[in-house]
Amino acid sequence: MRLLLALFLFLSAASVHAQTGQKTIVYKKPIAVKIYSTKVELRKIDREAIKTYSKQKDFIYEDAAPETLTWWDKFWNKFWKLIDKLLGNKISGSVLKVVLIAVAIAAVVFIAIKLIGLDFRLLSGKSKSLEVPFEESLENIHEIDFDDQISNALQTQNYRLAVRLLYLKTLKNLSDKQLINWLPDKTNQAYVLEIADEGRRDEFSKLTNQFEYIWYGEFFIDKTTFENVNQSFHDFNLKKA
Amino acid sequence: MEQEMFNQRTDLTQLSAAVDHIRQTLGKIIVGQKDVIDLLIAGLLADGHLLLEGVPGVAKTLSAKLVAKCISASFSRIQFTPDLMPSDVLGTAVFSPKTAEFQFRHGPIFGNIILVDEINRAPAKTQSALFEAMEERQITVDGNTYKLEEPFMVLATQNPVDQEGTYRLPEAQLDRFLFKIEVKYPSLEDEIQILVNQHQQKSDDQLLNIVPVLSVEQVKAVRSTIKALFVEPKLLAYAAQITHETRNNKSLYLGASPRASLAMINGAKAIAAMAGRDFVTPDDIIKVAIPVLAHRIMLSPEKEMEGLTPADIITQIIKKIEIPR
Repeated sequence: MRLLLALFLFLSAASVHAQTGQKTIVYKKPIAVKIYSTKVELRKIDREAIKTYSKQKDFIYEDAAPETLTWWDKFWNKFWKLIDKLLGNKISGSVLKVVLIAVAIAAVVFIAIKLIGLDFRLLSGKSKSLEVPFEESLENIHEIDFDDQISNALQTQNYRLAVRLLYLKTLKNLSDKQLINWLPDKTNQAYVLEIADEGRRDEFSKLTNQFEYIWYGEFFIDKTTFENVNQSFHDFNLKKA
Repeated sequence: MEQEMFNQRTDLTQLSAAVDHIRQTLGKIIVGQKDVIDLLIAGLLADGHLLLEGVPGVAKTLSAKLVAKCISASFSRIQFTPDLMPSDVLGTAVFSPKTAEFQFRHGPIFGNIILVDEINRAPAKTQSALFEAMEERQITVDGNTYKLEEPFMVLATQNPVDQEGTYRLPEAQLDRFLFKIEVKYPSLEDEIQILVNQHQQKSDDQLLNIVPVLSVEQVKAVRSTIKALFVEPKLLAYAAQITHETRNNKSLYLGASPRASLAMINGAKAIAAMAGRDFVTPDDIIKVAIPVLAHRIMLSPEKEMEGLTPADIITQIIKKIEIPR
């Protein structure tokens, strides 16, 4: 078997050699070369014409500096000269470079934060205590002439409005005595809870309920009921801090 | 004193008694969680659907079951799972060989109190099945509309922590819940009391001893009483302004819908009634503002990154608006 295989390989190699030994002759058609016979005319540059053109204003490309500088141009010229001088100095130049790079980085970071809309307080961990400005209060209890307005309301027998004014006056008194911190967003119950003295708190709680029944509940109130309510408010307001 | 001075316009005796009874019943089993219990009762009285959200083990499902037990009405429980189909909730038409016709077989949605446990485990397709039921109190299948019996209330629970195998509720569905009630961990004292109660308990099933407080008819009557409560016009404007501010707030990507304003007033009326008043005060509106709005708004991505919550933004909005007085 091995002998047969060796014989096969030998004969195969011999045939390959025989094939590569042959030469192929290719006949190519000769290329016809045409000679360009037109006469070439040599042209020369007119030196006189160049001289004439070079004297014309349109062909003078000199960047002439303006004769008079404005104060703004003078400022920037001085500024850049100063920068060149500073940067030229080995010590101040390197310091200034660092400062300018730091300022540039800070500016980029600032713009990026503003664009993203992140809160700066996020970095200090106080983002949750965002301060919200109050919308302008329509009615400031410290600027109302209560006695005048109450008497006006009573003249028109508007007892509901009179009770409201009595309540606001009481809030003002409590605020003046620093027993409550008056703020437009606080509810009546918040003020009740703010009063430290238990007895006073209970009394104010009763007055608050009366006010709420009359004002929010729109319960009917006649002159007799108003006099009772008025007396309760009057007694409460007479108490010292 | 106020009752002596001002004659009562609305009879709230039955309502007050029922509220006290429900509070006592729930208080026997649910330790602490006073605000959760109050909001559950307010939701029931205000004719709203409630979404209870909390980590596992804080008695969300138990609270919902207790509320349901307090009313002698039909109760269904649907455990939402990822493979639940809309027909599993609504019902399906089944061919009857006897009559040679398709007959509609009612699903578990046909009940008075429906507990949907782990609502966010079902895909949006199944959650959408609840849209019509929750808003219009009816369902439409194969072109036929079926009215749901009143009172109809969906009490759903969800766990905010799990991400795997859960689907975020569609905004349209969230908007249909009157309140999202956050059930938080109990305090140490409350947790000790839970252990003491469990230790002393004789019966295994706490729910067996619950006696219904209100009948279906009583619930309907109480709800119509609450709807008729008085709200001063300035307070209506106050509630609307709070909702409106959510639409103009830079911290919010999505503001609340007018349905939120309606929900705020309805919820505030229920809170007022529970306090024995037939009129609403600003405190009532503020008390329900966060449960009404928190699930209806979406924070901007920046504010979410800052760690703010919808409740923080709502608090800021409330602080910005002057109390009508």
